[in-house]
Formats: sequence, C-alpha cells, structure tokens
Amino acid sequence: MKEYNIVITGVGGQGVLTAANILGWAALHAGHKVRMGEVHGMSQRFGSVVSYVRFGEEVYGSMVPEGKGDVILAFEPVEALRYINYLKEGGMVVVNTKPIVPVQVSMGKARYPELEEIKRIVEEDFKGKWIGFNAEELAMKAGHVVTTNTVLIGALTQVPEFPLDAEHVREVIRLSVPPKAVDMNMKAFDLGIEAAKKILGL
Amino acid sequence: MAKVTDMVLWDKPGEKVLLLGNQAIARGALEANIAVYAAYPGTPSSELTDTMAVVAKRAGVYMEYSTNEKVAFETALAAAWSGLRAMTAMKHVGLNVAADTFLSSVGMGVEGGFVIMVADDPSMWSSQNEQDTRVYAKFANVPVLEPSDPHEAKEMTKYAFELSEKFKHFVILRTTTRTSHARGDVILGELPEEIKQAKRKFGKFNKDPSRFVDVPSNARRFHPIVLEKIEKIREELNACPFNWIEGDENAKVGIIAPGLSYAYVKEALHWLGVENVKILKLGTPFPVPYGLLEKFMDGLEKVLIVEELEPVVEEQVKTWAYDRGLRIPIHGKDLVPRVYEMTTRRAVTAIAKFLGLETPLNYEKLDEKYKKALEIVPPRPPSLCPACPHRNSFFAIKKATHSKGIYPSDIGCYTLGLLPPLNAVDTTVAMGGSIGIAHGLEIAQHGSLSEEQRKKEKKIVVATIGDSTFYHTGLPALANAIYNRSNVLVVVLDNLVTAMTGDQPNPSTGQTPHGMGKRIPIEDVAKAMGADFVAVVDPYDIKATYETIKKALEVEGVSVVVSRQVCALYRIGQMRKRGEKWPIYYVDEEACTGCRLCVNAYGCPAIFWDEEKKQARVEPTMCWGCGGCAQICPFGAFKPVEEGEE
Ligand code: SF4
Ligand code: SF4
Repeated sequence: MKEYNIVITGVGGQGVLTAANILGWAALHAGHKVRMGEVHGMSQRFGSVVSYVRFGEEVYGSMVPEGKGDVILAFEPVEALRYINYLKEGGMVVVNTKPIVPVQVSMGKARYPELEEIKRIVEEDFKGKWIGFNAEELAMKAGHVVTTNTVLIGALTQVPEFPLDAEHVREVIRLSVPPKAVDMNMKAFDLGIEAAKKILGL
Repeated sequence: MAKVTDMVLWDKPGEKVLLLGNQAIARGALEANIAVYAAYPGTPSSELTDTMAVVAKRAGVYMEYSTNEKVAFETALAAAWSGLRAMTAMKHVGLNVAADTFLSSVGMGVEGGFVIMVADDPSMWSSQNEQDTRVYAKFANVPVLEPSDPHEAKEMTKYAFELSEKFKHFVILRTTTRTSHARGDVILGELPEEIKQAKRKFGKFNKDPSRFVDVPSNARRFHPIVLEKIEKIREELNACPFNWIEGDENAKVGIIAPGLSYAYVKEALHWLGVENVKILKLGTPFPVPYGLLEKFMDGLEKVLIVEELEPVVEEQVKTWAYDRGLRIPIHGKDLVPRVYEMTTRRAVTAIAKFLGLETPLNYEKLDEKYKKALEIVPPRPPSLCPACPHRNSFFAIKKATHSKGIYPSDIGCYTLGLLPPLNAVDTTVAMGGSIGIAHGLEIAQHGSLSEEQRKKEKKIVVATIGDSTFYHTGLPALANAIYNRSNVLVVVLDNLVTAMTGDQPNPSTGQTPHGMGKRIPIEDVAKAMGADFVAVVDPYDIKATYETIKKALEVEGVSVVVSRQVCALYRIGQMRKRGEKWPIYYVDEEACTGCRLCVNAYGCPAIFWDEEKKQARVEPTMCWGCGGCAQICPFGAFKPVEEGEE
C-alpha cells in the first residue's frame, strides 16, 4: 500500500486529536511510515477542527491533499461537509450523526442543514459512501460520552480495505486510555464495529 | 503508550516513536546537550517550550517561561556567551519583540551554540500576520535551517548547535505550523551522559567589553564581521547534510525545494508521475550554498523554485545566475503563490504549469462542487469556552458602557470576544498593544474637544488585556498612559494562566514549571505605577463586576480593574483529574419566556436555542457550572441540577 489518507473532523473538545493519535500509533506499530497534521491554538475553542493521518510507504506532507482522502471520519455531520473537498471519489464518510449546533444557528443567523441534505451532497456530488449513525448514543450505552471517539474508530476499522487490523487498533486504545476506562472503551469499540457492520450489511 | 514527555527523555537509541515536530526539536536539543532554555509561549512554537518545561529538571537543563520573547532571547544569549548551549523559541511575531536585541547582538556572536527556534504560521491559523522569518534572517545575516519532517527537525537541531558553535554565530531553526504541528516517525539518538544524569551545566563568562558592549566604536567593527561569517557559512553549507541533489542527473529541468516544500514537491512529482527532473533539496534557504547550486544548475535549461511565502531562495538564485551570466528561465513566484501556506495542490499546479502538463485532478470542478456544498454549512468559529470568566467581564463592560464604548483588546483567548454576540473587541494589533492603542484613541477622540464638548461627546475607551500579555508588553504601555494623564479604563482579564497557548504559568500566579516562583499581583503593579483607580473583582459575580466597572468609569485618569477568575478550561481539567464534580444548569421551561437574551447577548456555547419550544436549552455535557446564565437571565430560568455530574 503506497498511502492511506484519513481526514478527521469535528468540533474542538470532541477528541479529534486523540483519535488521530491512536490511529497514528496503530499505523506506526504496524510498520508504516506515518505523517499527521493538526492545528493548535485559537482553532480549538469549540471551533471546527481537522486533523490528518497519513500512512503507508510513500507519504510526504502532513496534510492530506484535496481529493485524496480515503476516509473522512466526522465527529459531527456538518463538519463532514466542511472538509468534503478532501474526499476522493468513492471514498468513505464515517459520521456521527448527532449534531452540535453552532452559536450562529442559535442566534438565528444561520441555518443547520438536514442530515439528508448532507448525505445527498456526499453521495451524489462527491461520489462518496456514507456510514452514518449516532455514535454518541452508543458511547452512552458503553458508559460515557467521552467514548464517542472510540465508537467511531471501531466503525472506521470496518471500512472496506481499511489497512489496519481492528485488533491492533483496539490494543493501542487499550494502552492509551486510563486503566479504569479500559472496559468502557472496549465496549464502545465493539459497538462501533457492530454499527458499521450493520450499515455495510456485513 | 508511554507519555510523550517520557519518550522525549527515553534512553533508547534507535527506537522509533511518533512525535510532534516541536517535541522532536526538544529531543534534538537534549541530544545536543543543551544547558539553558528560555522562551515565551506562542502558537505554533509552544509545545517545544512545554516539553522542555516537563523534562528540564530530569535532564539537568535550566528552563524558564520568560515574560516576553526579548527577555527570553537575552537569557539564552547570555548563557551562550558563557559557553553553554542555549536555545530560545518563539512564534514569528515573537521575533519582532526580540528583534531589538537580536539585530544588535548578532555581531557579538556567541561562545556556546545558540539556536533560535522560530515557528512561522503561513495562512495565519492562529496569528495576526504572515511574516517570513527567512527575511529577518537575511536582514540579520544569520543562517536558517528549515526541516522538512519531524525526524529531520530533530537531527537539524543537533546540527544547528554544532554550526553555531563552529562559527560562533547565531543560528535560526525555522519551522512552520505544518512542521511544528506535524507528527511523524522519529528515530531516537544517543543522549549525552550529563543529560542522562540530570547534571546541571555551568558556564563561564569571560569579560570582553570590546565585544559585549555595542557602543558605536565597537558596533562599527561588528557589521563586516557578520558579513564575513555569513559568506563562510555559505561555503560550509555546501556540505550540510540537509542539502542535496537528487533525481535524474541528466535532466534538463530542475526544481529547487526548500524546507517543507520538499515534501510537497516529492508528493506532487509522484502524483504527476514525473521522473526526469533534478531536485535541489535545500535545508538551508538562507544562505543558499552557491557551490551546490552551481553543481545543480549544470546542464539545466529551466528551473522552478517551489517555496512558501517570500521569494527568499528565488532572489538568491536569480542574483547568482545573473552574476554568472546564466540566462535560463528561473521560475518561482510567477507560478507559486506568495501568500498562504504551501499545499500539495499548489505544488502540483505549479509544477504542471511549469512542465506543460495537466493536473491529475480537475481542481476547477472540485472547487465548484465544494463551493456549493459549503453554501449549506453554517460557520463554526472558535468561541470562548463555557464558563469562561472573560465572557462575564465583556458582558459587564458592555452593559456598563451601554455598548457605546470603544474596545481595544489584545492577543489571547479573549480576542474571541470579538465574535457575536459579545462584539466587545474593536481592535487588536499585537501583544500588549491594547493599552497603547487605548491611550492613542483617547487622545484622538478628545484631543481637540473643548471641556464642554468633551463632556457631551465623550467616547469611553475600555482596553482589555490578559495577565500574561500584561506582563509581556503591557507594562511599559500602562506606565505611558499613567504618565501622560490618559483617561482610559484598563480591564486586566486575569485568568491566572496563559490560556490560549496551553495554560502556561506567568507572574500573576507566581507558579513556575518547577514549583513556586514569586507572585506579582497585577493590582500592586498598577498601584505602584500610580493608576488613579485600582480594584479587583471576581467576574463570576457579574453584578459586582458591573458595578466596579461603572465606578471606575467615573474616575478621571487611568483606572485599572483586575478581573480575576481562573481559566475555566484549566479549572475543569484540574477538577476532572481530582475526580470532582460541578453543578450542571438547566432551563426551567416554566420560567423561560423566550426573550433570547442568553443567546443574543451572552453566548455561552452550552446554551442552545430550541426552535420548536422557542426556549433556551443547556447541553449538559458542555455546561461547566459557572452559573453565569442564572445571573444574566432576567426571569431566573437557569437553575442548577441538584446533584452535579462529571
Ligand atoms: S434569558 Fe431567560 S427567559 Fe430569556 S430566553 Fe433566556 S432563559 Fe429564557
Ligand atoms: S452555568 Fe450557564 S453559563 Fe455557565 S457554563 Fe453552564 S450553561 Fe454556560
């Protein structure tokens, strides 16, 4: 495999960076060359955030080029659309369908689109595939909202031709969360896998 | 997975780890046996300093968070004069603050290796401008090393110390956001014994007033010395391990790729499937080593320079070519944009044009689709955190001035007070600038008014500034305003940390990374300087804050109100660690009249508007329990849930 490109998007505070780190370490352990990119500082305070994870034999820059993303892992629906220019044709969008409505919308200065609208643009205009489910709900089922990113990573491992072994990724999560949160995260991971399998008809 | 800060100190040569560019530089400094490190945090350089803060004691390194970049520069410089290896780090605009010392001391040189890490921010992800540090370097005649990935960043740091020591000259290690904040595989090298044993190193300053005193008679000698040094370094860099020629030796076309652009060029060529080009990979954009350039240019019929921001390499190459009578097309900024950061797309587009090829993707079509998609995407700018004390301070300022004041502000989280619904920031220029601008505005607004007019048309000027910024460069501006009998209110938003860059300590708390330093209360400084009114308030008490500001506004002269409450993000982080809980607020549907004041004037991100019920709603996972909403709601609709949850 020459390169695999993941774009992770969400809202500051949702755990986008943590998810990227887990995937980066899993790729490193699997023997890949790894490049990751992120922006810190002002961009994190509940604003839109994006992080890139690239691995394989031939990866160079830390940012995924536009139109080259194999997967967009979106923690929030409109954030998937905000970075949709990174998706390659036939790429996959794995998305947590629970919206976080921006302040501008609450103030009545902007509109929050329907999920169906977002999905249509991804599928029709960008020729992408869609795995959407409420990951936050599953995280609560696992024990706590903070496991939302683990649920999503679990789902990500089921994307067809995803190059990292799911058990391998699970191991990195096990090692990176606090000991008392391990069981909860393992459950969240499984719930993510199940959700993706169901949607993909596996 | 070990803690990153532990990995930076791992005695495991050969081990492959995933590090952030900035952490890799910290490791490089340790491998180079650094003795003294001083810096002021600034995105995208901060993690280098934060990493040093955590490992310093365990590595026997002296490390400090200085109050500004100039002071940090001087601290490290003096150590380098004393024969120690020393380093300072800053963001690009930080070099402006240190520039006075930087440009005046460069002629004096150093004894121990002195490395100045400067992190540029092309595209301005969290900065007020887009300056290119390589231009500064050229101005000062200081060599620049620019890594293309995290591992190279580590290796280059070691090399930078050696180069500096060899020529007794400053060396700049320049990164950009995309190198500082890139993660990549880094292979650990050997750590020196002194670092492993945490042995603090001591230097010796040999007095030499003819060198270290820049009176004109001495300074006159320095400039030619510097010019001579930089040409010698240009020679030396022909053999620099971070500069090389690669690709097709017999190619007729060549591409010069400095720093991080190298990664983009490689990716672009790969994507375009182009092989018959020669590449000059330049780790040293200034000075360009002419010997290597000559070798590279041999046989070429045209050249493209793919560099980010200013044409620093381009100008050197063109000058060199002109002087040699070489008349081949040399492209650069005609094909590569001069603003914003380099991307693979930009490299692909420039190279495709240069070679007369099609781009592998139809970007115009992509842009069109993307533009359409964005039409339905609502904006999501960053905002002040839930429970952020700054929100309350701004709310009280706006209320006390009936939204009619002029509000100069400064650089920090609180700059976000610019956004609706607060709209409480009218200007920000640079660190510490708010007080100076406020003073200037006051003079300009009222200068020529008669006493009577002044009473009638008085524009209230309220400056806001953070605690760290106050100590950074706010102090001289405050002295100036008081001395010149200005009539402004300065509200110091003291949240007891440098929050925007990651909660670094500062004199207002007195905390240092290694324990307690000495605390300097801001109100004491204001009083000592002679401010006409000084008060301290807790912004979590909005009414009291409002009343104090009202009172301060009645005072003729400079008033200083210190609005003190610990940063919410920091406080919640600490509480989570200790397993503590906080109250969560909810909206009592009976009480809420749907007046929208909370979303239209206050704007806590945990408060949402329920379109169906036409009422406010609190998202429990986002509420950090400050109770601000309960204080501003005229109908008492916000109430704490009895038992708090984590
Ligand atoms: S201010 Fe109070 S009453 Fe008005 S909408 Fe907000 S919660 Fe309801
Ligand atoms: S108490 Fe109110 S203002 Fe404070 S964080 Fe919670 S919702 Fe926001």
